[in-house]
Amino acid sequence: MTNLLKLEWLKIRRYRAFMWLLGFFVVSMFGICYIVWVARGGMSAAAGPAADMLIGNVFDFPSVWQTVSYLTSYLLFIPGLIIILLTANEYSFRTHRQSVINGLSRGQFMLGKIWLIVVGSLLVTVLVFIVGCIFGFRGRHAFSMEELENLGYFFIQSLTYMSAGLVLVMIFRRSGVSIGIYFLYCFILKNMLAALMNFRLHGGSGNYLPVKSADKLIQAPSAVGRAMDIHLSDTGIMLAVSLVWIVVFLWFSMRRFKTSDL
Amino acid sequence: MDILTVSNISKRFGSVRALQEVSFSVPEGSVYGILGPNGSGKTTLLGIVTDVIRADSGSYALPGSGTAPNYELRKKIGTLLETPNFYGYLSGYDNLLITANIKGVSREEIDPVLVKVDLYERRFSKFGNYSLGMKQRLGIASALLGDPQVLILDEPTNGLDPEGIAEIRNLVRELGASGHTVVIASHLLDEVEKVCTHAAILKSGRLLADGRVDEIMARGDTVEMSAADTPALMRLLADNFPGERLAADGETVLLTISEGHADTGAINSLCHANGIVLTKLALRKLSMESKFLEIISETRNDSRQ
Repeated sequence: MTNLLKLEWLKIRRYRAFMWLLGFFVVSMFGICYIVWVARGGMSAAAGPAADMLIGNVFDFPSVWQTVSYLTSYLLFIPGLIIILLTANEYSFRTHRQSVINGLSRGQFMLGKIWLIVVGSLLVTVLVFIVGCIFGFRGRHAFSMEELENLGYFFIQSLTYMSAGLVLVMIFRRSGVSIGIYFLYCFILKNMLAALMNFRLHGGSGNYLPVKSADKLIQAPSAVGRAMDIHLSDTGIMLAVSLVWIVVFLWFSMRRFKTSDL
Repeated sequence: MDILTVSNISKRFGSVRALQEVSFSVPEGSVYGILGPNGSGKTTLLGIVTDVIRADSGSYALPGSGTAPNYELRKKIGTLLETPNFYGYLSGYDNLLITANIKGVSREEIDPVLVKVDLYERRFSKFGNYSLGMKQRLGIASALLGDPQVLILDEPTNGLDPEGIAEIRNLVRELGASGHTVVIASHLLDEVEKVCTHAAILKSGRLLADGRVDEIMARGDTVEMSAADTPALMRLLADNFPGERLAADGETVLLTISEGHADTGAINSLCHANGIVLTKLALRKLSMESKFLEIISETRNDSRQ
């Protein structure tokens, strides 16, 4: 595992786009939380106890874990985009062939990508933890590890987004097409299809769609937010469905690479 | 011992039969040329033995196959397949660092191979900024990393200037002389003739000939003869060399021996014993290119019949 990760690191450490996107992710993550934190403070100043009742102390421990996880989840398309770019690079430079020629098995090559996704998800989850601590310690309550399971859900959600990016590249082998479909699905189609399924079929059936199930793991942190979500879901079921989708994406990616001509 | 054994490998791309039951063996220590025109299947064949392409049928074996997986064996083989494939945004050195990590080779071995291919001064330039020749040289450097005992080089002189071509030729000769096995695919027959000990000739995915270069060259020796009585000479040769190709070009008679070497001494004695005095007797030495074209055209004629 270490060797494969080291190989991936050698490929990306000087890749400027990776550094820019990572930097953008970190800044955006902190930025989005800061904006909401400022807005929450403003609402509290304006509406007083009513705001506290409707919105809650979302940046205090332990709610901050859910809040930061939820807000950051809107940015998970960025790590997915990174995975698409890194994997598509292999196809455009044809280095996936060269790696196999040099002595990496096809399985090892894909394992390297999978480990990259796992470690990447771990790192963004740690970032969420750090940002959570930053905001949490500015709140009124003492540090608490309650509701820390939201970080676990965030990790699964991150795995899902990144795996979805990987499987798209394995299908289309081009960054442009993969990015286009990835964005189209994540921002538009996913929600449209989910709404359609919820309306036409069993209410809540749309939550089983790829990536959508992961989005349902972390609920909106405030009472207002939860009220706007008509189809609240059983977290346990969504977790299982998300794990199934992750396995499907990774298994398909591995199988495709192992069986196709390079 | 054979370094590589290819057994009945076939591969089809849609309706195109890229390889048709190709079988041959590469002896250890040989410089083995795989020759053929564009589209003959050379790169497809090398792609199969490096696991880049899946064969439809057939198999190949490397030394140690069965005791270790093929990808582990490939780490000990230096390969340059088609154009060199490296990350354009990384420097030559960083690209070789990745290769070294895959092969389990120390990074200390990178600088010496860069010196060998004359890329040391530009090792920190991005690969994307290299010229075609520099890219090719980096590919060769990558193949040389770890001092592999076996090298597979697909058109290694692509994009190189005459000086570069000569350097590669010398390098291949040195490697062959020092006991390395080199499999080199090329359509530059002149180069192959200068360095190869063995060869396989492919056309349209079929193996037309394989073996030692001198044996392949010996097939179809052509003897040029002239005599005062050309018809008598023709009759004598037709009686004594049934099935061989006999042609008259003005006063010159051409006798082509299909197998083995032509014995000009025996031919001279035969003519003398039958009262024919030869005014000209010469063995036409074919170049690899001529022999290659001859083999290719024989196949074309056979398929038309």
